[in-house]
Amino acid sequence: MKRIDAIHALLQMLDRQPVLSNLGANTYDLYAAADRQENFYMWGAMGSVSSIGLGLALARPDLRVIVLDGDGSLLMNLGSLATISTQRPVNLVHIVFDNRMYETTGGQPTHTAAGINLASIARAAGLPAVREASDLKSFGDAALAALREPGPWFILATVEPGTSTAQIPRRPVCYKDRFMSGIEKAQR
Amino acid sequence: MDWPEQISQALKQNKVEIIAHVPDEVTGSLLGLLEADPAFTVICVTREEEGVALLAGAYLGGKRGALIFQGSGLGNALNALGSLAVAAQIPILLIISERGRRGEINPVQVPLGRATPQILEALGIQAFWVSAQDDAADVVDSGARLTFSTTLPVAVLLTPALTGGKRWK
Repeated sequence: MKRIDAIHALLQMLDRQPVLSNLGANTYDLYAAADRQENFYMWGAMGSVSSIGLGLALARPDLRVIVLDGDGSLLMNLGSLATISTQRPVNLVHIVFDNRMYETTGGQPTHTAAGINLASIARAAGLPAVREASDLKSFGDAALAALREPGPWFILATVEPGTSTAQIPRRPVCYKDRFMSGIEKAQR
Repeated sequence: MDWPEQISQALKQNKVEIIAHVPDEVTGSLLGLLEADPAFTVICVTREEEGVALLAGAYLGGKRGALIFQGSGLGNALNALGSLAVAAQIPILLIISERGRRGEINPVQVPLGRATPQILEALGIQAFWVSAQDDAADVVDSGARLTFSTTLPVAVLLTPALTGGKRWK
């Protein structure tokens, strides 16, 4: 499964739900798939996206909040799984695209390349709704369930390396302001 | 009014609703007040950087936040403060119990405590210190107003002169 195909499939299921993408490949592919007002792009603060998603999910319980994370990023903030598990926001959907490498920094292997399973870690953290997907069909099924049923959800999606070359303008303040006014009006 | 009560009231006046914290006995009485007050949602995080990100997310969703931690945790928060809060202009009130300064009992706390004013200054984060009981309400209130008007993080540091500091039991 290619990451961008999975993102396309996900976006087709969405209306105006916020989508937050971690730095690097997820931001590039999300922007290439569709530059929506409800997208929050990151270029830094590696590892932080799951925690931003938690904060947004708690502040806006009326919205289903979708986080696009990466294996390298999540390994930098594993504690967030424990915090999400204790807070239990039913409206949080945490998707990890696992390409088993630090693709943006040159393709060095992450520990998931050595067999570490992030879904097992999520289960051990006590997260109630954990799915694994390695093809578009199983990813689509998991995403659909995660958009309809109570979470917090954790979806580990194994993807091939390869990132869109779309050049997203690096304007964090502009995109943040656009995102905030976009989700102000959005409802679940 | 004691400083914890003053700070709690100042946070409420500034419509701060979400409190993230890393446990610290020096600010324990303040956390106790906040946890007992239905105006606040108090969330314990595993690491200060996680707290910065959580409160950034809450702000994106329209809720104001404060992060309460001891000074040694500033080092754990720096990348998210720089490349998220400052870079994207997201306001967070940092309430920090000072370590590594006057009367410090643990020498390994000193290097980061000593460097804290320059670290905050270098990141462009304005910082204000509270040492006297009577100043707590004003410093926290004015610091909160500054963070939300500039949409940038602002730090309020609580000195051992105010809190009594960390002591061996």
